[in-house]
Amino acid sequence: MNKKRIKVGLFIPCYINQLYPQVGIATLELLEKLDVDVVYPQGQTCCGQPLGNSGYEEDSKGICNHFVENFKTYDFIVGPSGSCIYHIKQHFDILEQTPEVQKVRANAYELCEFIVKILGKTDLGASFPYKVGLHKSCHGLRGLKLGSCSEVQGEHYSTEEDLLSCVKGLELMSLNRKDECCGFGGTFAVFEEAISAKMGKDRVQDHLDSDVEVLTGADHSCLMHLEGIVNRNKQPLKVMHIAEILNSTL
Amino acid sequence: MSHANRATEFNKDESKVNWHDKALWYVREKRDKSAHNVQGWEYLRQLGSGIKANVLSNLDEYLVQFESNAKSNGVQVHWASNAQEHNEIVSSILDRHNAKKVVKSKSMLTEECHLNPYLEAKGIEVVDTDLGERIVQLAEEPPSHIVLPAIHKTKEEVDELFQEHLGTKPSGGNPEYLVGEARKHLRDKFMKADAAITGVNFAVADTGGVVVCTNEGNADMGVHLSKVHIACMGIEKIIPKEKHLGVFLRLLARSATGQPITTYSSHFNKAEEGKEMHIVIVDNGRTEQLSREDFRASLHCIRCGACMNTCPIYRRSGGHSYDYTIPGPIGSILSPGKDLKKHSSLPFASTLCGSCSNVCPVKINIHEQLYKWRQVIVQEEKQPILKKSIMKTAGVVLSKPKLYKLAGKSARFALKYAPKFMIYNKLNAWGKARDLPEVKNDNFDDWYKKRNKNG
Amino acid sequence: MIGIKKEIKMGREAILKSIKKNKPELLPLPDINEEAFDESIDLIETFKSNIAIVGGTVREVDKETIDAEIKEQYPNKTNIISTTNKSILGTVQVDKSTDPHNLENIDLAIIEGDLGVSENGAIWVTANSSIIRVLPFITNDLVIILEKEKIHLHMLEAYDQIAQRDRNFGVFISGPSKTADIEQCLVVGAHGAMSLTVLLV
Repeated sequence: MNKKRIKVGLFIPCYINQLYPQVGIATLELLEKLDVDVVYPQGQTCCGQPLGNSGYEEDSKGICNHFVENFKTYDFIVGPSGSCIYHIKQHFDILEQTPEVQKVRANAYELCEFIVKILGKTDLGASFPYKVGLHKSCHGLRGLKLGSCSEVQGEHYSTEEDLLSCVKGLELMSLNRKDECCGFGGTFAVFEEAISAKMGKDRVQDHLDSDVEVLTGADHSCLMHLEGIVNRNKQPLKVMHIAEILNSTL
Repeated sequence: MSHANRATEFNKDESKVNWHDKALWYVREKRDKSAHNVQGWEYLRQLGSGIKANVLSNLDEYLVQFESNAKSNGVQVHWASNAQEHNEIVSSILDRHNAKKVVKSKSMLTEECHLNPYLEAKGIEVVDTDLGERIVQLAEEPPSHIVLPAIHKTKEEVDELFQEHLGTKPSGGNPEYLVGEARKHLRDKFMKADAAITGVNFAVADTGGVVVCTNEGNADMGVHLSKVHIACMGIEKIIPKEKHLGVFLRLLARSATGQPITTYSSHFNKAEEGKEMHIVIVDNGRTEQLSREDFRASLHCIRCGACMNTCPIYRRSGGHSYDYTIPGPIGSILSPGKDLKKHSSLPFASTLCGSCSNVCPVKINIHEQLYKWRQVIVQEEKQPILKKSIMKTAGVVLSKPKLYKLAGKSARFALKYAPKFMIYNKLNAWGKARDLPEVKNDNFDDWYKKRNKNG
Repeated sequence: MIGIKKEIKMGREAILKSIKKNKPELLPLPDINEEAFDESIDLIETFKSNIAIVGGTVREVDKETIDAEIKEQYPNKTNIISTTNKSILGTVQVDKSTDPHNLENIDLAIIEGDLGVSENGAIWVTANSSIIRVLPFITNDLVIILEKEKIHLHMLEAYDQIAQRDRNFGVFISGPSKTADIEQCLVVGAHGAMSLTVLLV
């Protein structure tokens, strides 16, 4: 049967676009491998989260409307950042709930969730022969429920682990604190600098203590913060977005 | 002074931060283990939340029912609109009994009302009898945690404090010895007390009784040895039926410390013959919080402290950094309702990680309320010019692709070519402990365009 | 005094008025589906292991050997109060009119529990069974005698059992008094009893 191909609008969050193009590239290549029609709508900017989290939700309405305008025609909106996707789903409630807004909110997916839940795939043919530590970003974990949380009763599950466990040669390391926040938190990283840096330092240490070689996650804002600490302290840890690993054929 | 400033101060001693974090993480782990051991735990939380929501929607009726049942048991019921009235009522009861020595078990409400200094100014001795509270009382500090009031103190610090105030021998911080000495010291206070003040964990509308939970037995030692018992409660402590204790007592201690239940769950319905029991019902801003639809559910709180133990910020900033009677995540959503200006930094003392909402036994959406308080604060409180102009500008730039493109380019240009000293200076809080990302030649936009051209 | 009374009255009306104005529309009181908490566990074994977790000691004994067991557990006690006819070890007599301060030096109290709760090792003790309310707290050591068939699965069941009581004072006791207020170090024996032994008969 000739199924209509899924049309995906690729959402590359602003900081990834500007600072981590390789993450955007890996995301795009990965989606293309998975047999979906991917379009990167030109002129996209940001989801508005930095403003909303800082209390300037009112001032972000223009950004949010612009986002909806850019993505309203796609079957799915997929981005490599749980935090931004969570913001779209959770906080676009400030907009008038037109059919377009509702469609965008309902069809926005974090990359891993899209691959596992919508495409129903876990083995993407990747290989990556390293010891990997998974940082479970809070907005993905507790917001989008990409996995079970250590504080909630119930069966264990994890979208990212499902994908990583299928990567050839990859050894997923177990952490002491499985899902503690890294301390990024957007502007929190700057306005609560002392605590933010300490939280990041503690997270990095947990990965080092657990013999991790490559620290990964589905949210590059957390990774940017953790990488900043790793680089400053010249620690033996490489930081990569999960899309880069899933797109690897090492 | 903001939370960030006080947190920075606390972080000057990193080994103490590590110690504080580990001590509370240990409690959080005990909580997980104990909670997950209960069949239907998440449903139990759902029930706790549902019952509390019903209580708030019918609070006046339940309070009247509670009062009438308590009165028919011979209990005297008083109502206080604010802290001042609360303190006056307690003081007048003590006056009538000519009570000069008072023992008090843990009550965050009396902390909130600053009852101790009020009574002390009238020449009344008030002794906090919970060991942790006694420690901070001797140190002349407020509690730093609602369940573990002295969690910020090391055993060596307690040792010194006891040497000074109780005349103990130096023990190098031997907990058994120190607890034993405190037992003797407080036993004497219990024996001589004229009146006992307690908090209230739950007030049961359909019986008129109150329940007080302790591990030490201090509430009972106080109440049963003195002539007058004064129980002080916020209006939101009401639960409809006694049977609902079967829900809340299952939730409370497991959430608080990981114990299956506190050692003592005491049900006070009637005073002993020849004695008096009083209940003081206090508003002090609660009905105002009830009016705020977005923040109303904060009144579900049963004061277990689980949100503090799980909060990665609380664990690394200490309870005093919040400068409010109730610290931590729950305090950060309660305090702005009391004094928005004074506590306006607290809703920002969070990464919105959401773990607080997940551990909350009555399912308060704490992190969502933190987000909402931020919006209120920006609207109603004067914001730092710099932050405000950055946000306003970002709001415009990020809604206009052309401006965004330009801004992105210049920001990347600056990051790439500006001398290090310009990036890593005092004004750049990011760069104090973290490197900035390395800038590549193209951004994703550029790469994508080139690829499409070439393809 | 009149002034205070007036204020108090105003407090009541002001609070109730304010609640009426500010409360949301009535939300239903949820029904409790107790089946969600059903577990097929050994009530007595779980109860025993929970008593151990909360720092108590538990022994299964015959009615005839209660006193022998108590003597073995607590060999050197002189000031003993027994409020139950299941033990004759009492050396100090009390009644409802006894001044609770006189119990300051009681070494051991032997009382009966009304029911036990498997999920947390708690035992329901009423003022009627302890005669003097302060007794189970002020005594240095505490023995509670409990009939095995009075152990229930969880707190909801327990409240059904005690629903029809004469409500004056009652307490769930789970283990000896304890504190972890000094650096999270658990120390048994805070203000209440230093030890608890539960005798299941």
